[in-house]
Amino acid sequence: MSAAPLAERVTLEPLLWITACLALALAPHVAALPIWVTATVAGAAALRVLLAVRGRDAPPRAIRFVVSALAIGLLFVQLRTFNGLSAGTALLSLIAGLKLLETQGRRDIYVITMIIYFLSLAALLQGESFWLLSYLIGVCWLTTSALLRLTSSASPGQWRRSVRYAGRILAQALPLAIAFWLFFPRFGGPLWQLPQDGGGATTGLSDSMSPGDITDLANSDEVAFRVRFSAGTPPSDERYWRGPVLHDFDGHAWRRTDSGPVRPPQLLLDGPAYQYTVSLEPNQHNWIFVLDYPSHWNVPRGFLTSDYMLVQPTPIAQPLDVVATSYSHARAGEPLSAGMRRRDTRLPPGRNPRSLRLAQELRAAHPDDMDYVHAVLDMFRDQPFFYTLTPPRLAEDTVDGFLFDTKRGFCGHYASAFAALMRAAGIPARVVTGYQGGTYNRFADYWIVRQSDAHAWDEIWLEGHGWLRIDPTSMVAPERVEHGLNDLAVAGQALTSRWQQRTPSWLRDTRLRLDALRLLWRQRILTFDQNSQMQLLGWLHIPEPNGQKLAFVLAGCLISGMLWLTWQVRRDLILRPRDPVARAYDTLCKRLATVGIPRSPHEGAEAFAARVAAQRPDLGSTVITLCRRYSDLRYAPSATPDARSAAAFSAGVRAFRPRGSRASS
Amino acid sequence: MNRLRQAAIARLTRWSARRHGRDSLPLTITKRRIYIVPTRFGIALALLLVAMLLAGLNYNSNLGLGFGFLIGSLALVAMHHCHRNLLGLKVDVRGETDALAGGAARFEFLLHNDAPVERCDIEIRCAAEAPATHSVAAQAYDRALLDIPVVQRGVLRYERFEVRTRYPFGWFRAWTYVHAPLTAFIAPAPRGTLALPAAAAAVGNAAYSERRGDEDFAGLRAYEAGVPLKHMAWKVLARGGDAAVRSYTGLAAQPEWLEWSALEGVEVEARLSQLCRWVLQSEAAQNAYGLRLPGTEIAPGRGAAHRLACLRALATYGTDVAP
Repeated sequence: MSAAPLAERVTLEPLLWITACLALALAPHVAALPIWVTATVAGAAALRVLLAVRGRDAPPRAIRFVVSALAIGLLFVQLRTFNGLSAGTALLSLIAGLKLLETQGRRDIYVITMIIYFLSLAALLQGESFWLLSYLIGVCWLTTSALLRLTSSASPGQWRRSVRYAGRILAQALPLAIAFWLFFPRFGGPLWQLPQDGGGATTGLSDSMSPGDITDLANSDEVAFRVRFSAGTPPSDERYWRGPVLHDFDGHAWRRTDSGPVRPPQLLLDGPAYQYTVSLEPNQHNWIFVLDYPSHWNVPRGFLTSDYMLVQPTPIAQPLDVVATSYSHARAGEPLSAGMRRRDTRLPPGRNPRSLRLAQELRAAHPDDMDYVHAVLDMFRDQPFFYTLTPPRLAEDTVDGFLFDTKRGFCGHYASAFAALMRAAGIPARVVTGYQGGTYNRFADYWIVRQSDAHAWDEIWLEGHGWLRIDPTSMVAPERVEHGLNDLAVAGQALTSRWQQRTPSWLRDTRLRLDALRLLWRQRILTFDQNSQMQLLGWLHIPEPNGQKLAFVLAGCLISGMLWLTWQVRRDLILRPRDPVARAYDTLCKRLATVGIPRSPHEGAEAFAARVAAQRPDLGSTVITLCRRYSDLRYAPSATPDARSAAAFSAGVRAFRPRGSRASS
Repeated sequence: MNRLRQAAIARLTRWSARRHGRDSLPLTITKRRIYIVPTRFGIALALLLVAMLLAGLNYNSNLGLGFGFLIGSLALVAMHHCHRNLLGLKVDVRGETDALAGGAARFEFLLHNDAPVERCDIEIRCAAEAPATHSVAAQAYDRALLDIPVVQRGVLRYERFEVRTRYPFGWFRAWTYVHAPLTAFIAPAPRGTLALPAAAAAVGNAAYSERRGDEDFAGLRAYEAGVPLKHMAWKVLARGGDAAVRSYTGLAAQPEWLEWSALEGVEVEARLSQLCRWVLQSEAAQNAYGLRLPGTEIAPGRGAAHRLACLRALATYGTDVAP
């Protein structure tokens, strides 16, 4: 094996192409990469291109080594690990840049293309949109064209041909890739546990809440999840999607402490049952938003916590579809344990003194728990409390500040104050965060729940009732619960973002239609799993589908794919005349060859026909007619062959199907 | 690793030789004789694909898996295209060539492409020598010249040559062995300082004057077709006589014998080099010359074929190959 063609120096033009491909592949990562990594890669590329413009080679080995060691060392210092998706991506990007710096021969081009392929894959592990996939396939096409161009000895300037040939190869690869994708067995879970740096940033609700938190979410149009009810839709005041339940109050913020694997207290479910599919967007949290109160769910390792949150052991890093059943009402089947009572009546000592005094006064007037609850809710309704998206800032004791000074707040303020007042009266109370409401998409019959639908409410324990959902916000802004945030304006203040107000209805409809397509993409492609594969096998009429049969189908696809490819590439080698008359004549000769009378290369049409007539009198007259017509079309003095007689000749050949071999003649 | 590789290649060539026997030229490359393996870049790509598959499965990412399968399928399709690049190509070669030691033996191959697609980057190679790379346009034929540097006098023989391609992408290498012998007769490098034997003999000899008389008029003879016009005896013709030609005396008419025995005491290869130089000098001077080697005698003559015969005799001297 000689290294001669590989040692060939890379000149400016190929370098520019490969740099452009790398830049396109890095584009989806730029937001997540440390800024200096991007800068280093860009700097390395610029330096290398500049050197090439001057007609010089890569910088000396010593400089390259020092730069690489510094950059990779710095990255390790910053990230502390190279394991996991985001660290790996950063490392790979850095290596690509450094590789570019030392690019000299074709070998380096191979390395960079492989890095580009892997970077594209890494972007797809995090992203999920159809557009990203299309974009990256485009990048892959371009990179492959560059590879083709840079590894063949074709003369420069033949880019268009390389792009076309690479596109053809890619097009032939596509059906094969789809077959693999459909039938390659899925395992459902990760093969091994990765450090949970979580490919993307966490989104949506977190496991703590200070009064202002949800306000930030209210401005976000991002989709949290989509829901499709299979039978019956609950009324809006029952569409509470349960998220993290918060117990620990420090006077300012509420937090969640993990109760560990404690068996949830028994629930006596009641009321209508709703079955639905929640299509969760990846949010890097463990909890799954379900309707109060879930009874069944199809999360493989999902379980209910002691406060009825549905959680799974690993964060949701990929789109997840959960089929669940919930009952709108439930009663406690057992008394509250002492530990839980203690946890949910605890208040930080010395904080919010004015609220505590208020609670004592109210409690003295209403010794009955229910009366007390009503008294507090009446206070919210009757006193000048306002619901607003832009509440004033609060000092340390948020409940005091809100109840006595500002009186303006968002759902978080009301839920927080209400729970504090309950606890002050010795009633176990906790804050539940989640989503409430949602937008109905009439084009595809499902609900879109956005981050702006985030909500906070309370649960209190009343003897004889169990946990009871109380939404203090509904006292102040009942519309919030009935219509959702987007249609709501209180106290002359627009709650919806300006963009939403100005959106004309046709645009909103278009958005809904697009969202319906996005849901379809999700359900068909993103959440394609083992079950979908079994359904697919069933649809192919394969009885009792299982993993083994899946493997057989995959093997079948592989074999037929290879045969198909063989046929595809052989077809390129067959010389096919463009002229329909010549093509038809070819067909005629081929058919006669199959019955044992091949035309010799030197034989003219009429001589051939005469020989056929002599060997096979039964075919003679037809062949003589056809061949004479062919001669006329080709050589008749009237020169211009008219389309009609050409078509007649082609039709005659198509109809001509000789049977029997020489033996029968 | 390298030894293992070479052993494998040796086995394969032996097996292929047994399988196909001697090939008759021109040879059409059929699918039965095309072998294909991944190159080291192909192997690297395969490892990358495994990594991509694991990543896709581990992150349970359908899009990631899909993209990985696309790249994998791309490699499979590339394999078929690499195979196709050789399939149906017709190869021919002139099996014998001549060279001087220290120069290059040039074999001339003819690649004939009947198909309506271009064959890109077809490499032709003999053993481990640097290949000749050629692209043949659709429905065309092309001459590929393979120059193999030669150092030593003698006969260079290859039992087979290899037609290979790594197009497209260089992830795979498809090749075929053509079991047709290639022979290069390598004459010794022309060296030596001795003058031609006849010239040496002429010094201080009676023959000298005869040699001086190269251009002397020696009489008239009858015209023959092909005689240079300046030798025509125009005056005779003008007097109304028959067309006549003036003839001259000169050494040109005297064949020169280049003798092995004339170089007694010189080492064998140096002797052959000297003889080779004489052959080339005589040919350049357009003198007739003969060559005498132990066991071989080439009658005097001149011209390309004669020169070739002499050079081959020098090339094969002492080898068991007949010139």
